[in-house]
Amino acid sequence: MSKLKTVIYTGIAVILLWSCNDILESVEPATSLAPDEVLSSEEGVNALRASMYAKIRASESSMGFMTDYFVGPSAFTDETRNRPGSTRFQAYTAATGTDGETTHLAAYTDAYKIIQDANLIAGAIEEGVLDPNTHDRYRGEALAIRAFAMHHLVRALGYEPGMIPASGPGAGWDLGIIIRTEPTLHLDDADRRARSTVDEVYAQIFSDLSEAKSLLSGINDDNTYITEAFVDGLTARVNLYAGNWQAAADAAQNAIANFPGALSNTADAVAGMFHENQGNHPEALFKLVVNPDTENLTGAGTPTFTNNGPAAYTSVQWVAQIPTQFVIDKYDPEDYRLGWYGDCIENQRQGATASGCGDVNANAWSILKFNGVKGNTIDDYPYFRLAEAYLILAEASAKASNDATAGSGALNTLREARGLDPIETANPGALGSLQAFEDEILDERIRELAVEGHRYWDLKRLGRHITNPDGSTKIRNDSHRYLAPIPESRLGENDLLEQNPGY
Amino acid sequence: MYKKILCTLCVVFFAFQFAYAQTGVVSGQVTDAETGESLPAASVLIAELERGAATDIDGQFRIGNVAPGTYTLRVTFIGYQTFSQSIEVTEGEETVVNPALETGAIGLDELVVSGYSVTPKRELTGSISTIRANEIQDVPLQNIESMMQGRAAGVQIESVSGNPGGAFRVLVRGNGSINAATEPLYIIDGVQISQSQQTDLTSSSPLNSLNPNDIESIEILKDAASAAIYGSQAAAGVVVITTKRGAQGATLVTARAETGIRDASRRVSYLNTEQYLDYYSEARGWTRDETRQSLLNFFGSPTGDDQLATTNWQEFIYDTGVTQKYTISLSGGDDRTRFYLSGGYEDTDGTAMNVKFDRMNLRTNFDHQITDRLQGGINLNLARNFQFGMCQDGNFINCAPSQAMFEAPMSFPFLQDGSYNPETRFGLDSNPAVVRDEVDRNVTVLSLVGNANLNYRVNDWLFVSGMAGLDYRSTEDEQYRSPIAAPAQNGFITNTNRSVNNFISNLVFNARQTFDAVHNVTGLIGTEYRRDFSKFASTRGDGFPGTFFKVLSASATPVTASGSFSEFRIGSYFSNVKYNYDERYFISLVGRFDGHSRFGSDTRWGFFPSASIAWRISEENFFNVGFIDELKLRAGYGTTGNAEIGNFAARDLYSALATYSYQGNTALTPTQLANPNLSWEEAQEINLGVDFSFLDGRITTEVDVYQKNNRNLLFERPLPNDSGFEDINENIGMVRNEGIEFNIRSVNVSGRDFIWSTRFNIGLLRNEIRELPDGEIIEPNSTTQRLEEGRPIGLIHVPEWAGVNPADGRPMWYDADGNLTYTPSQTDDAIAWKDGVANATGGFGNTFSYRGITLDTFFQFSFGKWGFASTDWFFTRNTEFLMNLDEIVLDRWREPGDMTYFPRAHHLGTDFPETANFRTTVGTHAIYNASYIRLKNITLSYDLPVSITQRVNLRGVRLFASAANLLTWTAWPYYDPELAFDPRDIYGNVTTASLPTERQINAGIEIQF
Repeated sequence: MSKLKTVIYTGIAVILLWSCNDILESVEPATSLAPDEVLSSEEGVNALRASMYAKIRASESSMGFMTDYFVGPSAFTDETRNRPGSTRFQAYTAATGTDGETTHLAAYTDAYKIIQDANLIAGAIEEGVLDPNTHDRYRGEALAIRAFAMHHLVRALGYEPGMIPASGPGAGWDLGIIIRTEPTLHLDDADRRARSTVDEVYAQIFSDLSEAKSLLSGINDDNTYITEAFVDGLTARVNLYAGNWQAAADAAQNAIANFPGALSNTADAVAGMFHENQGNHPEALFKLVVNPDTENLTGAGTPTFTNNGPAAYTSVQWVAQIPTQFVIDKYDPEDYRLGWYGDCIENQRQGATASGCGDVNANAWSILKFNGVKGNTIDDYPYFRLAEAYLILAEASAKASNDATAGSGALNTLREARGLDPIETANPGALGSLQAFEDEILDERIRELAVEGHRYWDLKRLGRHITNPDGSTKIRNDSHRYLAPIPESRLGENDLLEQNPGY
Repeated sequence: MYKKILCTLCVVFFAFQFAYAQTGVVSGQVTDAETGESLPAASVLIAELERGAATDIDGQFRIGNVAPGTYTLRVTFIGYQTFSQSIEVTEGEETVVNPALETGAIGLDELVVSGYSVTPKRELTGSISTIRANEIQDVPLQNIESMMQGRAAGVQIESVSGNPGGAFRVLVRGNGSINAATEPLYIIDGVQISQSQQTDLTSSSPLNSLNPNDIESIEILKDAASAAIYGSQAAAGVVVITTKRGAQGATLVTARAETGIRDASRRVSYLNTEQYLDYYSEARGWTRDETRQSLLNFFGSPTGDDQLATTNWQEFIYDTGVTQKYTISLSGGDDRTRFYLSGGYEDTDGTAMNVKFDRMNLRTNFDHQITDRLQGGINLNLARNFQFGMCQDGNFINCAPSQAMFEAPMSFPFLQDGSYNPETRFGLDSNPAVVRDEVDRNVTVLSLVGNANLNYRVNDWLFVSGMAGLDYRSTEDEQYRSPIAAPAQNGFITNTNRSVNNFISNLVFNARQTFDAVHNVTGLIGTEYRRDFSKFASTRGDGFPGTFFKVLSASATPVTASGSFSEFRIGSYFSNVKYNYDERYFISLVGRFDGHSRFGSDTRWGFFPSASIAWRISEENFFNVGFIDELKLRAGYGTTGNAEIGNFAARDLYSALATYSYQGNTALTPTQLANPNLSWEEAQEINLGVDFSFLDGRITTEVDVYQKNNRNLLFERPLPNDSGFEDINENIGMVRNEGIEFNIRSVNVSGRDFIWSTRFNIGLLRNEIRELPDGEIIEPNSTTQRLEEGRPIGLIHVPEWAGVNPADGRPMWYDADGNLTYTPSQTDDAIAWKDGVANATGGFGNTFSYRGITLDTFFQFSFGKWGFASTDWFFTRNTEFLMNLDEIVLDRWREPGDMTYFPRAHHLGTDFPETANFRTTVGTHAIYNASYIRLKNITLSYDLPVSITQRVNLRGVRLFASAANLLTWTAWPYYDPELAFDPRDIYGNVTTASLPTERQINAGIEIQF
């Protein structure tokens, strides 16, 4: 019997030991990993980098850095209007009086998801996982993308530095956004924070961009990832918003110098610039590549026909947002950039035949910058083009030296490339005063950058009223709606988060 | 893992000695006490050893190889009281006992299979409902769940779908979870059944592989005191299914054949073509000729002239199905070896189109006494079942249950030349005839459920048993649509292979000892390990050259390939200690310590205790009430868990999502933040009960009162989004279920030739949400999914209907202030109206036996539940979509002064000026009472007299005819008052075009020899 007892007791002891945590902890999910496995391996970090870029395209459900980003600022102002009968993006275009929907301009959740990925790459990769050069480069990319996302948020939710109103509902309102520069690795990291001031946010953005520039120094050969030229361009853009004219001009110069390409300067090259089988974005300092066969614009699901890309709204499917006569009228007939427009029915490939485009512009054109030529409504997306650097250079140079003619050189370079006469002959009055020059720059920005996510911000950063195509005022610059609201549900989960005034 | 099985077995294998001690024999003859006639096929059991024998044709039995000792011999036979007697077995001698059974009901000596042990009912301290084989033996249903329906107080069972083999929603004492609702834990012969990876092509139950004829008993452990031994998986109740085993004696062969027909239990009355024309003309203000022309333009004519069709689509979709079912079983054994072998085949054509269920199964239950101390056994069930499925539960234009509502009588399936009509309501690919003939939904399930076990008797008081079990299920889903049914893809086929490999092993020490003749101590301690590993792979190919092939290789374009796996593991220790003093005072303590891979790292192990006591007052000396045989009070309190929180809900996750790739590099993206404290939902339950038995066991009743509080409910707590995460899984919230259960069985007449017995049970239930995150209402504007503290789950929240304005036939509602309004708003005017909780459910039945003839009727009922039939309501009350029109429109307003229920004829829901959309505004008028009483089963059977069967050398012949769901009494105007969307539907208040429950009539014969 003693032998028997020994066997039994040994057996039980073994079983008790085996049943411990080990067995239970070794269960692993099929398509997910624990953080340390991702952050401590080169493959993991590369996959995380892919996530950071992919999120610009594919945030969980919304179109924050996609259709909302590109089409929203146009539909909200005067660049596009709904084709009669179509309702897509109507919330933007129909915004009148006290109604209207500026919420989506902010892309609140999407931006912070991008920032989280950037923070992970910038701050959570373990030492020695990557070779130092790659580590620097990834960190540089992450800082630039963080700056990009933060700037998009802060321009929607706060007044620009120096533009804080002295009266009205926004009097003295200096809050920007919540700054997050550390990755959320644990529940404790997901703490409740208050919004920082606009000045603090801009300081953080400049600091990120400055470090990114040094980390990406000389990296300009692949514009499908963040380049030094893009960092320069973004620095120029943020300085322009902040009113740092000289810094904006300097950074724009750097962008032009560091970018390996040049402005397209023939009618065909300009017209085909956005066409992925022709020009394929020769002027993009950074373009986000989207493969229509495998990559959806939202994060989930099997790639199938996707109908939420900008192209679906502007030209391919719904043909809902049509360029206004106001925009078409800005062009000289010689302007190569008229090649970006075309017959709205001819260029439609999906859905019920679009009718009534002619009610929005006399030629019944749609805008073809995004036309999903690879067979879907998904294109590659340029987040900064060389032309914008010239426009910033022109505007900032003039304002820095308080002299309109100081901006004419850069402006003329762009005009020449687009088949136009110099401004001195085409519109000499534009050089008569800074105000006239600013008006001319705004017109040139419409001609060049329509439906690329600029118009609303251009009016706002200059403190102008938001206008309708007929010139009437849609949102006054002292209206509370000038700033987007913080989404209601975000306020519910964070009692330190203050809503913008008036909401 | 396999090391672990080995080890479990090793312990048991090597722990015995291969030697026989001297043994004795127990034998005798079982007779009827009154007549002295011998009773064949009575069950004789040595309770302590769980060894038994069946009496032979002369009532003789013999149990050999019994170790010396004192045992309880128990003899049971249908229609007789249990015989129980203490016997003494001595070495090398034959103990002869001749039990004489008294007629009457089975009393408190019956054995109940509870957690990891068998307990005589009189010793129970918790609440367990038992359903025995003889109650359900002739019920012609495919599903175990449907057989349980109405037979256990407090267990609510609703059909999710009427297709044979379909799933059920089973609620044991109400639903206590919001985001982690789950089925009860099903255990078949000790093997816990997995719910993972079931088909998504049709409704299907994981219990389909079991042949109901193989079932010996179903025990439902209802209260925490009974279920806590199953710890973190027990909060939704535990259903223990025990299959038949062989008994010592001559081999008993039972052959059974049965066949029958079936039909949808209810139809809905829709307008015919002429009535439709009337309504439509009135609604549009057209003449009948104009209307006819308009409908002809839309639907065409089946005869090619100007005759509109008069199709009865319900008849097209629901027709009569045929069932055939065969089972043959062998059981028997000698003093060393006992076996039960059975094979079954069932082939059932359902009522809806091609819906079908068939099952082939083989079962082997084998027990062998290796030495007098060591016993080994194998239970094995192998089954292949097949379902031809049907899409349902949604407003789908290409699914038959919704098409029964969507296709108006003017629509028709075939043109004159026999080809498909391309002009049905949603075009050719959604023509119901195309759906019937050009779409396959094949589900093939291979299932193996079995275990091997060894039981070792260490000494008189200690037993060790080890078990290794497997529940393996492979499910092949194949969906095919011909180029006609899927023109956009030019036909496609999808193959999905799913499998679940659910392994379980345990080692249990059982002890029982009596001290000083009055202190009875029993106890068990055990350890268990379970691993549930599931995976799937799915492929799809598009484009077929016509309808020749239905295989992937013939498709032009491979479209998708996907696959993944998932698993969970549970390691446990458990113990149950029971003590009773002189079978008068009972106490039972249970504790289970569960470690679960799903839980957070800081809360991986949970402890689930329970304690219960009982007092058999009737055993007290002072108790002196002659007609009461048994009076027992029970009280118990305990905690169980619900671990159905998702396999990785507690972890930090970076997920590989191909669609999140960038330039061909798959992304790993942070998707979930860890909550190391995430834990099981916890149910705390108190149960008080009384058991009565009086008039010599002729009447037995049980009454239970309980309150169950489910706490720490799983919710997603929002996080500040600027953290990069939107929410985190946390344990917040509480739901309470409380109720009363009453069960009574009586033998009303017990004569020599005539026996009449009655049974009745009812469970009363109240459900209430007690706590939600931050006390906030969830889905405040939802009509049927609003969750609010102080209200039940399944609240129906709608504006109140005020009737039809007699002046102009407009619909009216009340606003929040009780004033009439034509434009109610859900946000402002909705009131808490009814709910989807069935507050009173149960069943009652009578059995009449006269000589060999037995008539059994069983009714099942459900009261208190209200529901919204969304498809019926949205699509069959006006002509907006030119779909069927419900008969309700006949009671419409026609001229001023009419007091009606239905507004004036209208085409669109928006046709009433300055009035809310009548079609889409759900008010109290849209909510109907889903209470019902159903004649669930009626069986007439005839057992041929022994005098005849003996002459042909048969032990028994039985002829029977039975019907299921034959009659239903309900105010519910639509197809089926059983409203459950799926087995985990927490609301239970909406139905959207589901297959109705089927009505069946069967007849068969059973021969024993």
